[in-house]
Amino acid sequence: MHSPRQIVFGFLIASLALATSANAQSAGQRVVRKAPTAADWDAIAKLPDFTGVWEAGGGGGGGGGGGRAAAPAAAQAGTRGGAAPATGAPAARGGGRAGGRGGAGRGGPSLTPEYAAKAKATPPPAAEENLTANCLPPGLPGIMTQPYPYEFLLTPGQVTIISEAYTEVRHIYTDGRPLPEDPDPNFYGTSVGHWDGNTLVVDTVGFAQVPRGLNFPYSDKLKVTERFQLTDPDTMSIETTITDPLALTAPYSMGTRTLRRHRNWTIAEYICEENNRNGVDENGKAHINLANPEASPK
Amino acid sequence: MTMNKSVRRVILLASLAAGIAGLAMAHHSYAAFDVTTEKVIVGSIKKFDWSNPHTWAWIDVPNEQGGVDTWGVEGMSPNYLARRGWSRTTLKPGDKLTVTIRPMKDGSKGGMWVTAKRPTGEILLMGGTITDP
Repeated sequence: MHSPRQIVFGFLIASLALATSANAQSAGQRVVRKAPTAADWDAIAKLPDFTGVWEAGGGGGGGGGGGRAAAPAAAQAGTRGGAAPATGAPAARGGGRAGGRGGAGRGGPSLTPEYAAKAKATPPPAAEENLTANCLPPGLPGIMTQPYPYEFLLTPGQVTIISEAYTEVRHIYTDGRPLPEDPDPNFYGTSVGHWDGNTLVVDTVGFAQVPRGLNFPYSDKLKVTERFQLTDPDTMSIETTITDPLALTAPYSMGTRTLRRHRNWTIAEYICEENNRNGVDENGKAHINLANPEASPK
Repeated sequence: MTMNKSVRRVILLASLAAGIAGLAMAHHSYAAFDVTTEKVIVGSIKKFDWSNPHTWAWIDVPNEQGGVDTWGVEGMSPNYLARRGWSRTTLKPGDKLTVTIRPMKDGSKGGMWVTAKRPTGEILLMGGTITDP
């Protein structure tokens, strides 16, 4: 016969075992971070210096687009300016066009027969159907083709990119964790990165069918690979390649975007909903609200 | 340092083009504006919204009936403009301006800012070169 105290103790031990088991299971899903050590910070100091605020500026490379166009044409950038992936959100409904306009002069994605048929069945949305006009932010890779600055933060086990446009944030885990096998699809996907010499290589999976600047239909197997490197102390190149075993017959290169560091810049606030008078209605028709100037916040 | 006037103009135009393209990508496609044409309006600033995702210059323009119409002119966003010499006080109520816009397709009293000129001759572009390196 056990004493009540022994029974309570046994129950506590069993509970603890259960709790530990639960933690171990969740550890398979979630990486538990250790407190960074001085050595962890020292290791960051030895990496290429990505810190600070960067912007493509006019003519800033493949994803930047627009910078070389004449003014009237550039004003239509949403329909034709710059590299196709840089446009806001044509893939909002999973639609798009086969071939597309390509990135930075390339031939565009090569679609599988199934996805070529999808592209044909779902005509590419007109430029005015861009849901970002309603302040819906673009997912990856569109988040990386914005004309506004990016701030890079390097901390132990993580690179964080803050995009000024729409105040978007990307978390890139560099602590050695694997890509998730079955991630919840979302705007930015789930990103893990590793250093290949002086190049940060980032793989991202887990994409929902939301605006992300792709002008072709894609599957839930879409994967985005980015290679970030410094080409001189204040210049960063970002080479972006897309694979999708269901939608693409070959990797699709979005080209290389070049960012310049502005050492005296800080990221500005960009709350799109603050005073948005643009919009797209349920029929995909763009409109602008010119009524009641006094209603605007400032 | 002096710069050839035409060279400077080319640079300004190129910057403007880049700016317009950038803004389009950043937020929307300008589908509501007729980008194939320009219209000039002359009036005075009623109100300047230094706001995201666009600035709005509200301009009182005398009409043929002897009254005043308020035109809304959409411009670049504050984060972009602030790095190119603008501030929230660049346009003040009462400022007289001749503004070139790409008008609304539907004919309503609004458009997209292309350029403007003060009576002093000062040109107000929303592109322009980065003044804060």
